[in-house]
Amino acid sequence: MRAIGADGRYQTIRQLDLSALSGNHAGMGDESAEVRDVLAFLQSTEPFASLDDDHRRVAAKGIEVAYFRRGTVITEAGDANDWLSLIRSGAVELMLGGTQLSARLGERDCFGYPSLIRRGPAQNTATAIEDCLLYRLPGETFHVLRDRCAGFRKFFDIDESARLRRAVARMEGDGPVAGDESGLAIYATIGSFLPGRAVVSGDPALSVGEAAALMAREDVSTLPLCEDGHLLGIVTDKDLRRRVLAVQLDLATPVRAIMTPDPVTIGLQDSAMAALLEMTRRHIHHLPVIDASGALVAVISASDVLGQLGAHSLRIPAEIGRSASAQELATATARLPDAVSALVSAGVDASHVTHYASAIGGAAHCRLLELAQAELGPPPVPFALVCFGSLARYEQGLGSDQDNGFVLGDGYDEGLHNSYFAALAKRLSDGLAAVGYAYCKGDIMATNPDCRHDLAGWQSRFGHWIATPDPQAVLDSAIFFDMRPLAGEEVLVKRLREGVFAQARDNRIFLSFMARAAASTAVPLGFFRNFLLHHDADEGDVLDLKRQAIAPIVDIARCHALARGISATGTLERLDAAAAEGSLHPEAARDLAAGFEFLCDVRFRHQAGQRARGEPISNLLPPRELSRFDREHLRDAFRLIRTQLDKLRSDFAGGLT
Amino acid sequence: MAALWFGDPRRKFARAFAKAAAQAPAGPLADFYAAGMPTLDAAVGDAELACIDLETDGLTPRRDAILEAGIVPLAQGRLQAGQARRIRFRPAQALSSASVAIHGITDDAAARALNADEALAQLLPLLARRVLVAHFAQIEAEFLDRACRRVFGGPFVAPFVCTMQLQQRWFGGKPGEIVRLGALRVRYGLPHYAAHDGVSDALACGELLLAQIAHKSGREPTLAEMLRR
Repeated sequence: MRAIGADGRYQTIRQLDLSALSGNHAGMGDESAEVRDVLAFLQSTEPFASLDDDHRRVAAKGIEVAYFRRGTVITEAGDANDWLSLIRSGAVELMLGGTQLSARLGERDCFGYPSLIRRGPAQNTATAIEDCLLYRLPGETFHVLRDRCAGFRKFFDIDESARLRRAVARMEGDGPVAGDESGLAIYATIGSFLPGRAVVSGDPALSVGEAAALMAREDVSTLPLCEDGHLLGIVTDKDLRRRVLAVQLDLATPVRAIMTPDPVTIGLQDSAMAALLEMTRRHIHHLPVIDASGALVAVISASDVLGQLGAHSLRIPAEIGRSASAQELATATARLPDAVSALVSAGVDASHVTHYASAIGGAAHCRLLELAQAELGPPPVPFALVCFGSLARYEQGLGSDQDNGFVLGDGYDEGLHNSYFAALAKRLSDGLAAVGYAYCKGDIMATNPDCRHDLAGWQSRFGHWIATPDPQAVLDSAIFFDMRPLAGEEVLVKRLREGVFAQARDNRIFLSFMARAAASTAVPLGFFRNFLLHHDADEGDVLDLKRQAIAPIVDIARCHALARGISATGTLERLDAAAAEGSLHPEAARDLAAGFEFLCDVRFRHQAGQRARGEPISNLLPPRELSRFDREHLRDAFRLIRTQLDKLRSDFAGGLT
Repeated sequence: MAALWFGDPRRKFARAFAKAAAQAPAGPLADFYAAGMPTLDAAVGDAELACIDLETDGLTPRRDAILEAGIVPLAQGRLQAGQARRIRFRPAQALSSASVAIHGITDDAAARALNADEALAQLLPLLARRVLVAHFAQIEAEFLDRACRRVFGGPFVAPFVCTMQLQQRWFGGKPGEIVRLGALRVRYGLPHYAAHDGVSDALACGELLLAQIAHKSGREPTLAEMLRR
């Protein structure tokens, strides 16, 4: 019997018949035997672990074992490769084209599949950097398993962006914490948990007195006013206090005169999360619910939504609004990490969580400013509180520091008014530090006189960065280009923004500096055991998730936004708009968005873990704390980011030195 | 050359092989010899070998029985783990409780096994024309020889490479000292495998051989230079 040589092996595979392979076809007592230890290794190593038993046997049947001494070349770039290699023990280094480090692999890692999938020569030289025992699967078997098993095929996808998108879909699909049903509650539509009570509404022609009587009788604090079933406006207890009692308004006045016209509404099909975000962002506690035809169907309260979510830690926004001191406010914001943990473990995707955390951050700024103004008196001239960076982008995580400034309005006189705004800034900044938003290390705070300017002052500051860019100034000023008004005269910030973006858009040299500054980030290659692997073969022991992975995507989106005058501030919105404008390839935009969501999710899960262990919250991640799933997809994200940074540099800085 | 010292092992082996072939009665053993002698001039990377491990009821070939043979082919320097075979022998008497504990082969499992003649008829073709690799190969050589004499009335002559002996010859150690397979594998950083399973042990032994060859300095030895002495 000569069935053991190479030809015999291929024949076996061509004839693949699962029942014959898995059964005992050699007669009683004589078993073609999978080696128990080989099978056990496959059972505990993805993607073989996820194969069904029969197909895992097919894999085991094909396996050959080879040994390579440290320093030996296993495959040379450019050579044919017939194997999927699975490292059983030892370590392997892959060099693209034989010269450029592309990965270091350890036990349970696979290599060789890209050339099998392309049916072309190996692109990497694979060298044993430790004595290696490899389990090798012949290309034929690899292709059989790929054809038959979707999970196996997906695992070995050579399109890393497709893998990333699937990872994001998977996280959104089941959420990181299996079996936590509250994950569903977040996405439940408003329609699915409407309060049972009938909606109480009034006619706008009612007098103020009649409307108040109706609200008292029905025991509601919010009265929607409708004409022909369509919502015209809304009146609340607060309106009755402020606009009627306080000014001793005639009770016969039509209620229409004191209502808030065209109030914010939420649709029946919107999610509980969307309602919560809307309330958080606008500091309101009730939302009228309308159906697809625009007819009013209910009013939901924050309590309705929070009851549905079952997470009382989410009541923070209401508490911030009620806080009478920085101290009280600190009690409320201190629960932000728990609330974020609850949302993360409920499977809320990271972009919603950053939105929520940013809304809380914004609310804290606003409340502290109100408290400061209550102490110092009203501002002598109009002004706006502007925030920069992640808060402006609605991308705040935990442990963020403060980045803010004042845009001072018409009539500002340095000599007359500076002391008021300096005092206001001091109270705001100290308050923020007290409630958990650390002082900005770069001194981007309204306490810095250079962050308190009138429109012209700000414009000249930005103008300087744009007109005479230098690499360090570009790095330092990047976050100023993400700005959003938090309180005061929003139009001041809007005008500043428009002016700055118009100026930046036309300045190719400035854009090239921005692109090169972004591209200078050292994005890691991947991981090797418990180390982070860099291009220069250095092994670091900690990943700075924000600086080394999230920030470069933010930078890419910002460059495109500046180049095309895109008004969106959020990274995902900017990527979307850049694709729509034709500035960024739609596929690149989609890939970067998936990478961004994945990275933010990893960050929140990591921070939730730090919180649970009582450690300080940071963006620093030791690789040993990463699951295999996260490591592999982080590696994909790194590669994607590196590719897109190169593209950014050649698009914006090509030809310029 | 070491070969001069001990006499050319190829010629010595060829004489023994021819003599045994001439004596073998028609049947599986005669077929084994008729397949021919394995090449001994080649290096492991250019030859076909079979790694073999026997699980036995004791260590005395005269008295104890083979319970199981595990075989893993080694061709062109690669262990064909997927082609591994296990052959169970049915023992003549009930098993000793000590060997049940060691091998995990119960009377029930043994009852599903083959009688020695059938088992050898399955086993010998897997070994034909191949150099055999075993750890402490003396056991495998003696048990197979004893079994063939008992069943076919003729000796079993095959070229063996013993990984335990190679270790001592190439890397030093006390001659004749018994070093367990698992202990040697640890020295080479090879993974832990469950011991006392014929197929796992055969693979484990084959991996050790590849590691030993990779770590040996100088040119790659031929099979003749590696044979058990």
